[in-house]
Amino acid sequence: DDVGSDADAGSASRKWLCSRTDICTAEGEMVAGLQYAPEIFESQRDCRLSCGKYGAIWPMPTGKECTISHRRVRFDPWKVRFHVVAPGEAATQFLRETNRLFVSNLLKECIRNCTLETSKQILVRSTVANESLVLDWPTDESYALVVRTTETATFVDIQATTVYGARHAFETLSNLVTGSLSNGLLMVTTANITDRPAFSHRGVLLDTARNFVPLKFIRSTLDAMAASKLNVLHWHVVDTHSFPLEITRVPEMQRYGAYSSSQTYSRQDALNLVKYARLRGIRILIEIDGPSHAGNGWQWGPAAGLGNMSVCLNQSPWRRFCVQPPCGQLNPLNDHMYAVLKEIFEDVAEVGAPEETLHMGGDEVFLPCWNNTDEIRDGMRARGYDLSEQSFLRLWSQFHQRNLNAWDEINERMYPGIKEPKSVIIWSSHLTNPRYIETYLPKERFIIQTWVESQDALNRELLQRGYRLIVSTKNAWYLDHGFWGSTSYYNWRTVYSSGMPVGRSKDQVLGGEVCMWSEYVDQNSLESRIWPRAGAAAERMWSNPKSSALLAQRRFYRYRERLLARGIHADAVIPHWCVLHEGQCL
Amino acid sequence: YNEALERPHSHHDASGFPIPVEKSWTYKCENDRCMRVGHHGKSAKRVSFISCSMTCGDVNIWPHPTQKFLLSSQTHSFSVEDVQLHVDTAHREVRKQLQLAFDWFLKDLRLIQRLDYVGSSSEPTVSESSSKSRHHADLEPAATLFGATFGVKKAGDLTSVQVKISVLKSGDLNFSLDNDETYQLSTQTEGHRLQVEIIANSYFGARHGLSTLQQLIWFDDEDHLLHTYANSKVKDAPKFRYRGLMLDTSRHFFSVESIKRTIVGMGLAKMNRFHWHLTDAQSFPYISRYYPELAVHGAYSESETYSEQDVREVAEFAKIYGVQVIPEIDAPAHAGNGWDWGPKRGMGELAMCINQQPWSFYCGEPPCGQLNPKNNYTYLILQRIYEELLQHTGPTDFFHLGGDEVNLDCWAQYFNDTDLRGLWCDFMLQAMARLKLANNGVAPKHVAVWSSALTNTKCLPNSQFTVQVWGGSTWQENYDLLDNGYNVIFSHVDAWYLDCGFGSWRATGDAACAPYRTWQNVYKHRPWERMRLDKKRKKQVLGGEVCMWTEQVDENQLDNRLWPRTAALAERLWTDPSDDHDMDIVPPDVFRRISLFRNRLVELGIRAEALFPKYCAQNPGECI
Repeated sequence: DDVGSDADAGSASRKWLCSRTDICTAEGEMVAGLQYAPEIFESQRDCRLSCGKYGAIWPMPTGKECTISHRRVRFDPWKVRFHVVAPGEAATQFLRETNRLFVSNLLKECIRNCTLETSKQILVRSTVANESLVLDWPTDESYALVVRTTETATFVDIQATTVYGARHAFETLSNLVTGSLSNGLLMVTTANITDRPAFSHRGVLLDTARNFVPLKFIRSTLDAMAASKLNVLHWHVVDTHSFPLEITRVPEMQRYGAYSSSQTYSRQDALNLVKYARLRGIRILIEIDGPSHAGNGWQWGPAAGLGNMSVCLNQSPWRRFCVQPPCGQLNPLNDHMYAVLKEIFEDVAEVGAPEETLHMGGDEVFLPCWNNTDEIRDGMRARGYDLSEQSFLRLWSQFHQRNLNAWDEINERMYPGIKEPKSVIIWSSHLTNPRYIETYLPKERFIIQTWVESQDALNRELLQRGYRLIVSTKNAWYLDHGFWGSTSYYNWRTVYSSGMPVGRSKDQVLGGEVCMWSEYVDQNSLESRIWPRAGAAAERMWSNPKSSALLAQRRFYRYRERLLARGIHADAVIPHWCVLHEGQCL
Repeated sequence: YNEALERPHSHHDASGFPIPVEKSWTYKCENDRCMRVGHHGKSAKRVSFISCSMTCGDVNIWPHPTQKFLLSSQTHSFSVEDVQLHVDTAHREVRKQLQLAFDWFLKDLRLIQRLDYVGSSSEPTVSESSSKSRHHADLEPAATLFGATFGVKKAGDLTSVQVKISVLKSGDLNFSLDNDETYQLSTQTEGHRLQVEIIANSYFGARHGLSTLQQLIWFDDEDHLLHTYANSKVKDAPKFRYRGLMLDTSRHFFSVESIKRTIVGMGLAKMNRFHWHLTDAQSFPYISRYYPELAVHGAYSESETYSEQDVREVAEFAKIYGVQVIPEIDAPAHAGNGWDWGPKRGMGELAMCINQQPWSFYCGEPPCGQLNPKNNYTYLILQRIYEELLQHTGPTDFFHLGGDEVNLDCWAQYFNDTDLRGLWCDFMLQAMARLKLANNGVAPKHVAVWSSALTNTKCLPNSQFTVQVWGGSTWQENYDLLDNGYNVIFSHVDAWYLDCGFGSWRATGDAACAPYRTWQNVYKHRPWERMRLDKKRKKQVLGGEVCMWTEQVDENQLDNRLWPRTAALAERLWTDPSDDHDMDIVPPDVFRRISLFRNRLVELGIRAEALFPKYCAQNPGECI
């Protein structure tokens, strides 16, 4: 029969057009009265590269300049040539690795075959002004990307202040490429893009204590973060449930705290992760939670003659001693605990980059735990404290101040070249109540990660008092919600629409983090819980868009497809028909 | 930044098996609970978590046996190579089918024993070819898997495990709601030999006996051997005949491999009906022999299709696990993409309102599409498709016609002088007539349709139609359908819709049911009890089914969306446990048992969702 030759048969032979309303439409499905650009594209993904001001770029560029042409150059990914202009050997080497990662990502877009007998050359020059490999809040992550095509070749010019801006430019460049249905890859012939992030802290919190997450899945999380231009992996590596991280100075922590000897992270694992992340423009911020959320891993104190370093440990009935089983809270009156904690901090300082700081936790301290412990009540009375809430808060703040002093001493000794003392991060809590936070937590040294709901006044009040914030809005960016209790699931639109508070100065709000607490998540569902929703937060933190999720959805669906191509098991968010038929499922 | 460090080959990362070895703990059974104790270099013999769990507290068979179970406290160790089959049945086809099922049983045991991974037996490393092999396209397991031995064989205290399966009565291998699924299993130790006997009246009962036997066997990482009870006796039968799972492969396409993985989980949980929602308005992925245009026009792509061979392969694989495949071509509504080629072939409009906008005027969800009830070609096409599907999945006494969510406003554009409700009824009766023609002139005994406005009338004869009830469990229709004499299958949206809880996938309209149906919600749902059905009406309840609509699910997260929640339904329908707890609280022991079952699914390569922090799994009862 003649079905095989029918013009509508199979998507492979269809042509696609871009409407004036930035919708990619298959030939034969055009809407009467709507105008279309004259260019014809070979596939929906080809069309999407340039249909709309931002094409398929995720997150949306923020510069004044963003032009992308409708014309294409076909090329073989192995025919891309790179030229690095950087002031130092370290920056040069970094960019060479970035080049290789870029080619690796290009290959993942290949559909059938990417080898071309004759291919146009793609010449990529990246120029970096600053040789530093420091990645911190002040780091300049901006870039300018220019693509132009002549008769003989396509030239890509990347200009950035730091290597991290350049790597982000390569990420954007990969968004200007898609696989051809016939052969090779397709890239836009012309583009001119300037871009910089709105917030310097763009993070994902990963909890590996409640359920262990194998290294392979941490790395895939980093790969997805890189694809999203997210730059902080907040590694909530330990909690009451387990202590899987090796601390070379105190090996007992892991020995007593890991779920098993095969569910651990060695020192070398952590070092390798930090390097792997850095090459992708990502810092790893390790959180050693305390005084609460510290239990298994700390139970060896009595046998070692160090007394109870953690109290209420695994106590029943747990509701009397903590907010979630198992229980465990550090003993703030035990000097041995501080000594051990300092050793832990030293290991963490060695593993992280020199400029990296520490997340000290500090969330959900359950005062009845301390109040139900004879040893602590007696100790407080001996120090002249009563047993009021105020006294416990004072004890709690002394815990943080004492640890801050230890952290300062470690950094002075280990990294004498860094002049400014590093600020540390703690969670919002009773201690950060605006009424007395200034008494307990000096704003110059403590950054507050808030997790209150979007309408809560805490962010505004802390900002008014001059504190720097990292925002993790609980009722939009807690990715574990929706699967327990009376919590709700936040789909990508809700994540996208959750705004950032405005500080008195530009850098007072450092940024935000989506949080993947892992009570109900392990390697089997980790990727589908985080992605692609975290990508919606990525655009919020990079671009801080004024427009709605509705306008972002076509770019977002394409972004999800790229995650899948890179091996990330991202959730489906809409029927496949709706992805293929843009604008029909509103 | 040295590239060599970019991809670390850490010892831990190499350990690819999803259930980790946990040698730092030993376990003691106290008050029917396994207590975790540190085992740091102690000389005393270590007891692994699973070995403690299997001998402490209530029996760990999921679903819980309904009649009798006796397990000795003494256990024995053996290797999968020691296991042999002897079949006692007068029916040659049954013998052949049992041999097939046993071969796959042995493959699963090899997985459980961590044998089908290359590398040393103490540090298993997952090999891509090994992990692929279990879903090899051929139904026959590769001979090399049984001839070759990976890793070092260790000797258990048993020299052989003799499994004798007796199927005494029925030689019937065709699925039916009257299949006798009862079985008896007993094991007995004679010297260094374990005698296992499974006695059943049909293949299906024997198949369930194998699933139970698989759950009486566990891997101990201390000696790297399989363990089982020295003596055991189980007598078991299901409470409900229909224990189903529906998968929608139209909103998103799913590979045959992912469907088979789902069926493996179903078999282990003793579920027996895989309801395959093959097509919908979004896509038509089935390649019909008579009308390939349906897939040409309706599939998302050429590679996102099911051939007739695929359907047959899935059905044959499912039978190995005791699962019937029930295909559904939804009609007259939920039929659009794939039905739009009629005019070009001189057949007129086969369907209407295809992709029509604004969609909310003409259907419940975009895109729209509804079959043309006045086009005789439409019925002819349906008949041919039914014929094909019955050839590959039948013979059967159960078929699903769909019949979901008809939007009369769609038809009203074309048939403004017609009684539209009557038109809908006529369509269903005509589809039934075509099904009968496709089934050699005999209507299947149970023909299912989704509950709808139509099933609230009495137009469809209750002697021929079964209603799958998907609305809320408190709706009046639940009572009316039973009062009107229909057999029903419950799939209440408020408990057994597994797609709920992920928000709305579009900006307008009601596209979300919420919240997420936790496994506890699935487990606690017991509509026949809450409705206080008398004996007559309870008999009309054929069973239940969880539904996985896939607007927001694709292959990348299918396992963790289905499991272990589907297992919660399995126990609800097989065992139908009664308890005196509050409606929304699951008994503490169920947490422990479902956690162990979840680990079994993970062992078989099913990426089941975590139930709680690992601490709670290692310390049963501590987190409730």
